[in-house]
Amino acid sequence: MASEPSAATSPSDSTNHGLRVVVVWLVLSAIATPLVAIYVGPLIPPGNATVQGQGQTFDNQVMTAFVTPILCLLAVFFAYGLIQFHVRRNEAILDGPPIRNDSQIQLLWIVITTVMVLFLAGFGTYELLQDGSGGGQGPNPIALPAHHQDAFQVQVIAQQWQFTYRYPSLGGLESNQLYLPANTTVALHVTSLDAIHSFWAYELGVKADANPGVDNVAYVETKGPTTFHVRCAELCGLWHPYMFNNGRVVDSAQFQAWASQQQRVYASIKPFMNKPESEGGAPYAKTYFPEPDRRAG
Amino acid sequence: MTEAAAPPPRPLWRRLLGFNLLTAVLLGIGGWYLGWFGAHAIGAESLEYFEDTDYNELSVYLAYLGGVIGFLVGLGFLNYPIARLRGYPPSLREKETHGWTRYFSLCTDHKVVGIQYLWGIGLFFFIGGLNAMLIRTEQLSPHSQSFPMGTYLTLVGMHGTMMMGMMTSGILGPFANYLVPIMIGARRMAFPRIEALTFWLLMAAGAILTTTIFFGGFPTGWTGYAPLQTQANPGMDNYILFFALVGVSMTLLGLNMIATILTMRAPGLTWTRLPIFVWGVLSTAVLMVLAAPVLIAVLSMGALDRTAQTSFFNAAAGGSSYLYQNLFWVFGHPEVYILALPGFAIVLELLPVFARKPLWGYRLAVAGLLGVSLLSWFVWQHHLFVSGMNGDLRPFYMLSTELISIPTGFTFLCGMMTLWRGRISFTVPMLFCLAWFFNFLIGGLSGVFLSDTPSDVTTHGSFFSMAHFHYTIMGGLVFTFFAAIYYWVPKMTGWELHEGLAKIHFWTMFIFFNSTFAPLLAAGFLGQARRAPVYTGNLKFLNDWVSISAFLLGISMLIFLFNLVWSLAFVKQPAEANPWGSRSIEFQLPSPVPVHNFDRIPVFSNDPYGYGEGPAPSYVVPAGAPAGRE
Amino acid sequence: MAAEPLADEGTSYAVVEQEPPEILGRNLISASYLLAGATAFFFIAFVFAYFYLRSLNNAGMWKPHGVDASIGWGTAVVACYALSALLVRFSLGERRALRRSQWRLKGLAALLFGVVGLVLQVIDWTQESFGPADGGFASVYFGWTAFLFLFVLCTLLWLEMSVAMSFRYRKTDGPPPAGHASGDPHRRAPDISDPLSLIRAELVGLSFYWTFLAGIAVVSWVILYLI
Repeated sequence: MASEPSAATSPSDSTNHGLRVVVVWLVLSAIATPLVAIYVGPLIPPGNATVQGQGQTFDNQVMTAFVTPILCLLAVFFAYGLIQFHVRRNEAILDGPPIRNDSQIQLLWIVITTVMVLFLAGFGTYELLQDGSGGGQGPNPIALPAHHQDAFQVQVIAQQWQFTYRYPSLGGLESNQLYLPANTTVALHVTSLDAIHSFWAYELGVKADANPGVDNVAYVETKGPTTFHVRCAELCGLWHPYMFNNGRVVDSAQFQAWASQQQRVYASIKPFMNKPESEGGAPYAKTYFPEPDRRAG
Repeated sequence: MTEAAAPPPRPLWRRLLGFNLLTAVLLGIGGWYLGWFGAHAIGAESLEYFEDTDYNELSVYLAYLGGVIGFLVGLGFLNYPIARLRGYPPSLREKETHGWTRYFSLCTDHKVVGIQYLWGIGLFFFIGGLNAMLIRTEQLSPHSQSFPMGTYLTLVGMHGTMMMGMMTSGILGPFANYLVPIMIGARRMAFPRIEALTFWLLMAAGAILTTTIFFGGFPTGWTGYAPLQTQANPGMDNYILFFALVGVSMTLLGLNMIATILTMRAPGLTWTRLPIFVWGVLSTAVLMVLAAPVLIAVLSMGALDRTAQTSFFNAAAGGSSYLYQNLFWVFGHPEVYILALPGFAIVLELLPVFARKPLWGYRLAVAGLLGVSLLSWFVWQHHLFVSGMNGDLRPFYMLSTELISIPTGFTFLCGMMTLWRGRISFTVPMLFCLAWFFNFLIGGLSGVFLSDTPSDVTTHGSFFSMAHFHYTIMGGLVFTFFAAIYYWVPKMTGWELHEGLAKIHFWTMFIFFNSTFAPLLAAGFLGQARRAPVYTGNLKFLNDWVSISAFLLGISMLIFLFNLVWSLAFVKQPAEANPWGSRSIEFQLPSPVPVHNFDRIPVFSNDPYGYGEGPAPSYVVPAGAPAGRE
Repeated sequence: MAAEPLADEGTSYAVVEQEPPEILGRNLISASYLLAGATAFFFIAFVFAYFYLRSLNNAGMWKPHGVDASIGWGTAVVACYALSALLVRFSLGERRALRRSQWRLKGLAALLFGVVGLVLQVIDWTQESFGPADGGFASVYFGWTAFLFLFVLCTLLWLEMSVAMSFRYRKTDGPPPAGHASGDPHRRAPDISDPLSLIRAELVGLSFYWTFLAGIAVVSWVILYLI
């Protein structure tokens, strides 16, 4: 049989290692957490282009500050523990003290983690219910921004492999450019004609999956004029990587100019999806089921 | 009874005949063509429902089913049922002989199956890793440059599917099969033939996924979301068959593990004396048995949509893409804990040995494992926060997701308190376990951002979530997988691995793993979408950095491979029976463990963690006591 | 306490005990419970699909006009399954009382009813007025019944094997030959000391599983045909 390990235990050690770790940890956290919250947190995107984006950035700032003490605890614990308790070169490997349990530490740990988890969930829920945070909420949104009743409606129709934007308030104008008026609450109705896509307006802090047959609503409150990237964030087939374009938030005069220009351009083109309003059709359908419904090829 | 003289060895050509891997491959190919032409012969194409497709999906399915059946018949899986039908009494064991041929045939020795798993899974792990290298090659440029788009998507899909499918059994396959019977004082698993079946099914599945390239690959990634799945080319059928077979293999593997642990524990091995690794296996196996059938069901629906033109996932014809997402993630979230839990268990199993202290808070650790296993059923819609599905349930899923960090925290607490005041030696397995703490901490803390719905709006579907699950799965599972290899492989093979190379492997892997995935967390926040070879130019530096780190990570894997082959095939330094001074029972046996594990069924009187509590337990029945377990 | 090593390099087969028969029996029974759990989760996916697609009714295509499963055929199929499972359950008592002919008769009858159920199911498919492409309900209906068919088929194979063994069991007196099925030339001890004792355990497991599956068939009858 193999060499039996020595059953002897190491000499008892009266140093209060626990106190040292806790003190170092508290000092480190007290220094690091505000620094992280003030200097690192705000760097995390998506930025302040919209109310929703600002909300996410604030969320990220809080959570970055939140995880810092945890990171510090583990760092201090392992740095101290591994240096203090490792077996030195040429030192005999003895058994450590046979401590099997400490119910107080267990209780403390369970209470602290539970409180932390409940705080996170409560904070996240509160932030979400404030204004919807720019996420897709399905056809019946519960997290509504302040002026959602008179929100500017834009439908985002995703298909392989492009987005089409439909403005019901502009006579059902369909365009492949996304322009949004500044300082407005916008309701984005995202749907798809074929596979699952995801409408991701990065700088606006908006992401909503586009499912066929589903009207997925996301609210965003724009601020000043800006530009933003739009890309598909759900793998949707061969040219998914090239499914992106740019959008703009512009002030109302520019928006009107753009709208009338677009209406002129597309005036001669019959709306593809529905009968025009003059023939009794709705300017706007929540979902579309293009024929044929079977797959091609 | 006297030992009979061994029969003279037969010539090589004679040994190649019979039920073995060679026959299995030949019959598998034969069965494949039989299915293919059989489907054409019955005129599957001319059925009304297949008119509007160019491809004859039914032929692909029948061909591969024929191939799998031929493969299993060639290995000899039908022999036993036929023998029983002919009236032969039941038996348990097949081909438990010595010699290398047993590794290439149906063998019911759980130790042989464990080693078969190690090499089989290792093979596919390296194929999956190679895919990752090719993906990173493409990502060197912000434009699509190295591969055609379809090939790139297939690479992404194969990497993900291979890793998720194969590494599910990454620890339960090799290590639980090998160690659980020994740790519980049994000579075999409850169902030795099913045990072998799970392995060979996995190999058949791996071959099916690899041959997807002959059918055009598949564009969906490992999740295989449905409307895209339904319209994809026949390579998609390989994905469906692969994952369904993996599901069958997982179900049976889990079933076998649970039955073994429930019924075959040796006398004295009460639930509180069970090694924590066995508890980890048990909690994982419960998830496997219950989650994998849901996967098989949802893929069956996908296969029906593709062949019989049903409309489970076609919204225009009464189906729903949400149905696929729901069912897939009902499986998918337990699946990621199937990957993570064995890692927890290995860390907790190894720490006491190298800290020379008892496992701290045994019951809390068990509660943590079982708690994760239970909670993982209630979180699946956090993958769908922005999908528009059940928007009003998002606060609930946010809470349930964050609740999982409580039982996960138990694992951290027990591990950390085991180290505390211990006598820690930095052996190679210990280094991998310590790295687990670091990686899983980063993985867990990045998970905080993903579980928070407002923050998830930006991070969902980005490289942030991709880096997050690489931290938890690669950092959590693969690191402990290597810890287990360095800890147990000398026991399993009887030969030592080279320690210097192992340390080089660890340090390169740890550094380049972090150097690969930490920048990807940032890239995700900066707006890089998953699964796309096209990204904005400002991310080029990050991506180049990541690609180079990834290549170095690949080289670190090659160092490991070299070490493995060099040590086991050329140096062959015999391993000691108990090189780590462990009190666990497998280290009280010779290396490698003899065919029937124990001369006498051991009697347990304590758990294996009594470091510092007197002499090691002997596990031996007093001489003269009646043999047997009653 | 005489410290014997746990194992030597070359384990002597003479020392290795035979397998106590009750372990394999317990294995079989617990495996049938676990298999039932796995089967339940498989079909829960179809139950979920049924109610989910029904509540969504996308494009009004859940149950277009004329799509309705015929309750007559469905009742016949499920009744056959249930009867077969009940017969197996009853034959358990006969087996315990060692009334072999009685148990064989009931086993054969159970097999017969099961096969009739399968045949009726195939006829049912051909008689329905709709095909698998006719909307959500049609998809769930064909998918569910097809996979139930497969599960029943496999269970009947298991039943068939038990019945066949009861007829063809060789060497009923005395243990089987040493190493009879292991292909292990060194082996000198039988694998299982009393293989006959396993048949009852196998029957208990089979009966549990088949009853469970028949229960799933009854649930599917309620969901697919009744409501």
